Amino acid sequence: MDQDSTTPYSPANRLRPRSPNIQIYRPQLTSVLSIVNRISGVLLSVCALGLVIWLIAAAAGPQAYAVVREGIASWAGRAVLFVATFAFFMHLCGSLRHLIWDTVHGFSLRAIYLSGWIVFAASMVLTVAAWVTSAWIRR
Amino acid sequence: MSRQERETFVMIIRSPEQVPRFTMLKRFPLPRNFGVSRNSRIARGRAWPVLAGAVRVKAFDVYRYDPDSPENPRIDTYHVDLDDCGPMVLDALIWIKNKIDPTLTFRRSCREGICGSCSMNIDGTNWLACTRFIDDTDNTAMIYPLANMPIIKDLVGDQTHLFAQYAAIKPWLRTNTPEPARERLQSPQQRSKIDGYYECILCFCCTSGCPSHWWNGDRFLGPAVLLQAWRWLADSRDEATAERLDDMRGTFRLYGCHTILNCTRTCPKGLNPGKAIAETKRMMLEHRD
Repeated sequence: MDQDSTTPYSPANRLRPRSPNIQIYRPQLTSVLSIVNRISGVLLSVCALGLVIWLIAAAAGPQAYAVVREGIASWAGRAVLFVATFAFFMHLCGSLRHLIWDTVHGFSLRAIYLSGWIVFAASMVLTVAAWVTSAWIRR
Repeated sequence: MSRQERETFVMIIRSPEQVPRFTMLKRFPLPRNFGVSRNSRIARGRAWPVLAGAVRVKAFDVYRYDPDSPENPRIDTYHVDLDDCGPMVLDALIWIKNKIDPTLTFRRSCREGICGSCSMNIDGTNWLACTRFIDDTDNTAMIYPLANMPIIKDLVGDQTHLFAQYAAIKPWLRTNTPEPARERLQSPQQRSKIDGYYECILCFCCTSGCPSHWWNGDRFLGPAVLLQAWRWLADSRDEATAERLDDMRGTFRLYGCHTILNCTRTCPKGLNPGKAIAETKRMMLEHRD
């Protein structure tokens, strides 16, 4: 809501500015992992549509399935799948951390930071492990 | 390596006192005026000259807003003579007000971290100006008011809404049993349940650092007020537990908390609002009908 520029200026009817929040507040492990958990959740919801497309193609017949399979096997398809795998493990580990918090454990600042870095490291390890395992199975 | 250098690379924060020197980003990668209303946009202000004779000088970027002029908020740069100034950020602000610019406005009172008046955003995190060393700030120190406040003048935010939220939880002892002849007694064990909660000084560093309160501050009570709510829930003498919990039901008042925990990271008294809220959520489960 802006002031009407035709009325004379008066401090009394002036709208107070709001001090900046997200624009200046320093990113910390706490806030970054929170937003990552949310973004990964949104990403996984979108990827669920991809899963449906894949299943519909499988039900529709070999030709449709071949098209989708080609898309997934492409360079871009693999990149999306890799990011989705990471998002999956990030969301899984982050949610487990939230489950532990719901039992009122792990609230010391040290525990918050330790569990935060563990979630991040575990998600990376699990993502790589999932891809290595799948490559090894298809060998 | 000195203590300061070692802290630069610390990954596991143990105490909120640890200054976040090493973070990859100083702020989220967003445009400076992202989602900001037209009258809140910040302009570049003036750079005040260095006083003659000053040897050790440090620059301070300070948020300014003058309600008596039609101009937008701006960032002024001051140069503080460290040899003529006390060790704390509050000392620097008082030095600026005395020696350079008497119009600079901020709240302060006790200068020892117990009144909670001088809470502000220093280098991107909320803290009390009187307990933050100048040496622990960035090379150009950034001084903003507490995040997400309607600004009255310069570093003074309007906390009316926050105190209204505080009043809404009825922060006093509520009983329905007849008053005893002497005071209501408490065992040392019962008394220890409010340790870590009664020390809150209502500086609102936590609430102002909570992204959930930024987006839903009209409905979500925020960490400071919820810590106070838990302080009364945990008090063995209080007899309004059910009413207090009922007052916090609904989607936002309590459950607007998404356990981001910026609150626990920033509390200048080393308290744990995040834990108080988790305790309240658990108590809510135990009292469900």
